Amino acid sequence: MSVSKLIGAVSAAMMLAAPAFAQGYPERQVTMIVPFAAGGPTDTVARLVAERMSADLGQQVIVENVGGAGGTLGAGQVAKADPDGYTVLLHHIGMATSDTLYRNLAYDTENAFDYVGLVTDVPMVVVARKDFEPADFPAFVSYVKANGDKLTMANAGIGAASHLCGMLMMQALDVPLVTVPYKGTGPAMTDLLGGQVDIMCDQTTNTTQQIKGGTIKAYAVTMPERLALFPDLPTTIEGGLPDVQVSIWHGIYTPKGTPAEVNQRLSASLQKALADESVATSMAELGTAPATAEQATPEALKAKLESEIARWKPVIEAAGVYAD
Amino acid sequence: MELLSNLGLGFSVASSFANLGFCLIGVLLGTLIGVLPGIGATATIAMLLPITFQLEPVSSLIMLAGIYYGAQYGGSTTAILINMPGESSSAVTAIDGYQMARKGRAGTALATAALGSFFAGTVATFLVAIFAPPLTAIALEFGAAEYFSLMVLGLVMSVALAHGTVLKALAMVILGLLLGIVGTDIYTGTPRFTLGITQFADGLNFVALAVGVFGIAEILRNLEDEHERQVMTRNINRLFPSGPELRQIIGPVLRGTGVGSVLGILPGGGAILASFASYTLEKKLSKHPEEFGHGAIAGVAGPESANNAGAQTSFIPLLTLGIPANPVMALMIGAMIIQGIVPGPGVVTEQPDLFWGIIASMWIGNLMLVVLNLPLIGLWVKLLTVPYYVLFPIIMAMCSIGVYSVNSNVYDLFAVAFFGFLGYVLSKLRFEPAPLLLGFVLGPLLEENLRRAMILSRGDPTTFVTRPISAGLLVLALAVLVLVFLPQIRKRREEVFTESDG
Amino acid sequence: MATKPRDDTDMIAGLLLMAAAAFFGWQTAGLEIGTSLRMGPGYFPMVLSGLLFLLGVLVFLKSFGRTGEPMGPVAWRGMLFILPAPVFFGLTVRGLGFVPALFFTALIASQASARMRPLPALVLAVLVTIISTLIFSYGLGLPFRRVGPWLDF
Repeated sequence: MSVSKLIGAVSAAMMLAAPAFAQGYPERQVTMIVPFAAGGPTDTVARLVAERMSADLGQQVIVENVGGAGGTLGAGQVAKADPDGYTVLLHHIGMATSDTLYRNLAYDTENAFDYVGLVTDVPMVVVARKDFEPADFPAFVSYVKANGDKLTMANAGIGAASHLCGMLMMQALDVPLVTVPYKGTGPAMTDLLGGQVDIMCDQTTNTTQQIKGGTIKAYAVTMPERLALFPDLPTTIEGGLPDVQVSIWHGIYTPKGTPAEVNQRLSASLQKALADESVATSMAELGTAPATAEQATPEALKAKLESEIARWKPVIEAAGVYAD
Repeated sequence: MELLSNLGLGFSVASSFANLGFCLIGVLLGTLIGVLPGIGATATIAMLLPITFQLEPVSSLIMLAGIYYGAQYGGSTTAILINMPGESSSAVTAIDGYQMARKGRAGTALATAALGSFFAGTVATFLVAIFAPPLTAIALEFGAAEYFSLMVLGLVMSVALAHGTVLKALAMVILGLLLGIVGTDIYTGTPRFTLGITQFADGLNFVALAVGVFGIAEILRNLEDEHERQVMTRNINRLFPSGPELRQIIGPVLRGTGVGSVLGILPGGGAILASFASYTLEKKLSKHPEEFGHGAIAGVAGPESANNAGAQTSFIPLLTLGIPANPVMALMIGAMIIQGIVPGPGVVTEQPDLFWGIIASMWIGNLMLVVLNLPLIGLWVKLLTVPYYVLFPIIMAMCSIGVYSVNSNVYDLFAVAFFGFLGYVLSKLRFEPAPLLLGFVLGPLLEENLRRAMILSRGDPTTFVTRPISAGLLVLALAVLVLVFLPQIRKRREEVFTESDG
Repeated sequence: MATKPRDDTDMIAGLLLMAAAAFFGWQTAGLEIGTSLRMGPGYFPMVLSGLLFLLGVLVFLKSFGRTGEPMGPVAWRGMLFILPAPVFFGLTVRGLGFVPALFFTALIASQASARMRPLPALVLAVLVTIISTLIFSYGLGLPFRRVGPWLDF
C-alpha cells in the first residue's frame, strides 16, 4: 500500500465520522479565535457566548486561544483567514488601541475586518489600597493632585486597559504618578492588596469581590452611569473628570470580504445568545451586562471601533508609549 | 471546634457519590493526558477545561482540581521514564528519576514519587484548612524587594544544584536568564532578543524549551550509536520501595513537604522554586552527595513531595485572595468565573460548602491518585520494554501536538527543534540543563522585581536590606554561597599545598 | 606528537559561551540602559551578557593544560530526522490538517533510527495517527481541522 493511498484511506475514514452537512451557512464548525490565553476574562466572555451561539447555529462554535503580543497575533491570524465565516475573532478594546500602540502591525485594523457586533462592555473602577487616606472621590482627586509623584499607580503592562485608564487620569489631573507595570492584573492586584502600591484602575471582574470584602477601597466608576452592582459609587463624570472614560468592550469580527448574509446570520445568533437569561446571569457575576440587540450589530461595532481608534490615538501618542 | 465542623461540611460535599465520581474522572483523565510526553498540567487543564463547563460549580472545580493533581503526577511519570518534564517542577524529578529508571529502578522511583506526593498532599491539605487566612497575610508581605531576594536565593541554590563544574553551571544559569528575557519588556514595551519575530513577543514557551533541552537532547543521545547503546535494564520486578529505601526517603519527604508548603503560598515564583530548593537541600544534607545526578532516591522523594505540597498550598492565594499563583490557577479562576463564582475573599463566607468542599476533595483526590497509580506503575514501567526506536516517534508526535495545542503557535514548534539541537550540543559539551531551565524561569521575575523594587524605593538600593524579610533571604543566600564555596576553597588550598610539597 | 594537553570539549564550550554572549551583547546594543530608578530594557541584559562572556573566557582558559574525555559519536542521522519532525507538524497542521500532518511527523521521526524498517515505520505512523486523532481531536475536541484546506478538491 502506498503512502498516499494510506493517507487517503485514513482521511476518508475521518471524513465519514464528521457530522452530516446541513444546508447553507454554517455547514461545519465555526472557529472563534480568542487572542488571549485560556481562562482569562476575554476567554471567559468568548466561551459564554460561543456555547449559546452553537445552539442557535446548529454547529459547534469552538474557541481557539491564539495568545501573544497583546492580542495582535490572534487578530492577525483572523485578518489573513478565508472570509467564509468559519473563522471569527472575539477581541476587546485592544483591537482599537493596538492600532496606535503597535507601529508595525501586520494588518490594517480599520480595513482588514468585517463586523458582527458588540458583545459586552465591562466597566472599570478606580481603586486604592485599603488604608489609602481619602474618604471619597472628590477627596481622592485633591489628594492625588497634592501628592503627585509621591504616589504609585499599578497597571497590567503597556497598553492594558489599566494602563490606558492611568494615562487618562494623569492627563486629566495633570499630575505625574509613578507608574508601576506588572505582568497582568493578578500580580498588580496582589501588590495593591498588600499595600505595596497605592492606586490602580481595574475591571469589575477582578475588583468586585475585593471591594465587597473590604480588602481594597473603591473611588469611582469610569463609565457614564453608576453600576447596579455598586449604586453608591460615583462616576468619574460626577467627580469632574469627564475625560476619564474607559470600559473593556468586546466585539466579534470576521475577515474582510465575508458575505454580508453570513455576518448578519452571526449577528442574529449573537443577539439571541445575549438575550439568554443564563448569559445575563453569568455576565452579572463579572460585573457587566450583555450588549443590547441594537449594539450587537455590525454597524454598531464598526462605529464603536472607529470612534475608539480616533479617541485613543492622541492619548497614546501624547503619553509616548508604544508596545513594539 | 470550628475547623472540624468546617472539614465535616467539606467532606460531606466532596464525598457525595457524584462528586467522588467527578474527582475520580478528573484524576484519571489528568493522569492519562499528563503522562503523554511534553504535556504538563497547564496544557492538560487547558485542553480539558471545556469538559467541566457543563457541571455544577462544586463538581466542576473538584474535577479540575483532580485533573491538576493527576496531570502533575503524570508529568513526573514522563520525567522519570523518558526524561520529558512537562512542567518546571518535574524538571528536577527528571535529574535523578531518569537515572534511576536507566538503572532499572523506574518502579521504585515512580512509587517513591507517588508516596511522597500523597504524604505531602495530605499535610498540605490540612495546612490549607488551618492556616489559609494567616498564611495569606504572610504572602501579602512579599513585595518586589522580597521577591528579588527570594529569586537571588533560588539562583544561588541552582548553582549548588549542579553536579558539573561550578563555572559551567553558572554559565548555564546566566544563559537561562538571558533566554528568559526574550520578549517584550513590560516596563517600556520594547521587544528584546525577538529578532523581529512577533510570535516571540510574549517570550519563549517554557514547555518548548524543557522538551527540547531535556527530552529531545536525550533522544539524540540515545541515537548516537544504536548498536552499542546500553539498553535500559529490563530488571523491573520490584516496584515498591524496600525497607531501607523507605527509611531513606522519610527525611527528604518531610523536608520537601515543609519547603513546598511554604514556598507554594507565594504567588509568582514561589512554587517553581519549591522543587529546586528541596533538591538542593537534600544534596547538601546527604551523606552521599556524589550520588545526586546518578539516581539518588532522595533526589526524587524530596522534590516530588515539595512540588505536590506547593501545588496544594498554591490554592491558598486563589481561594482567599482570588489571585492565581501560577498559570494553572489562572485557568481555575477562568473556570470559576464561567461557573458564576468570582474568586476572592468573599468565597469562604458566602459559599462555605464550595470552599470546604474543594479543600476536602484535595485530600480525596490525592488518595485516589495514590490508589490508582500504584497498580498503574507496573503498566508505565512496561513502556520501557518497548524498543526505543518505536517509542521515540510516538514521543515526537505527542510533543508536537502538546506544544502546539497551548497557543496554536508554529514558532513554539520551531523553538522545540532549536532547543533540542541546543540541548544536544550543550550535553555534548558537558553542560547541565537544569540550571539553564531555572535561570529561564527566574530570569524575567528577577529582572521585573529588581526594577519594580527600585521604582518603589525611588531608586534607593538599600531597600533590599532595610526590609526585614528581604534582608533575611539575602543573608540565607549568602550562607548557602559560603556553604557551597567553602569546601572548594579548602580543597583548592589543599591542592595548592600538595603541589608545593611535591 | 608533542602537543600540549588540552580539553577540547571545554575549549569549544568556552568559545560557544563567548559567541552566545557576543550575540546577546550585540542584540542589547540598541536598547536603552536607563537610570537606577528607571532601569531601561538594556540594563539587565547588558550585565548578563558581560558576565556570560567572562565565564566563557574562564572556561576557555581553563581548558588548556589538561585533557578531557573525548566527545564521542554524534547523532547525525538523529538530528537530520528528529529535529525537522516538530517543524513539519507546525508548518502543515493548518494546511494539510491534523491527521495527515501527524502521520508524516511520526513517519519522519521514525526514520531517525537505522533499525526502523519501512513497513513497521508505516504501521507505527498509522497507529500513532489513529490513536492521537481519537484522543485529541474527538476526545478532547482540540480545534484543529482533521483534513485541511490543501486537501480540498
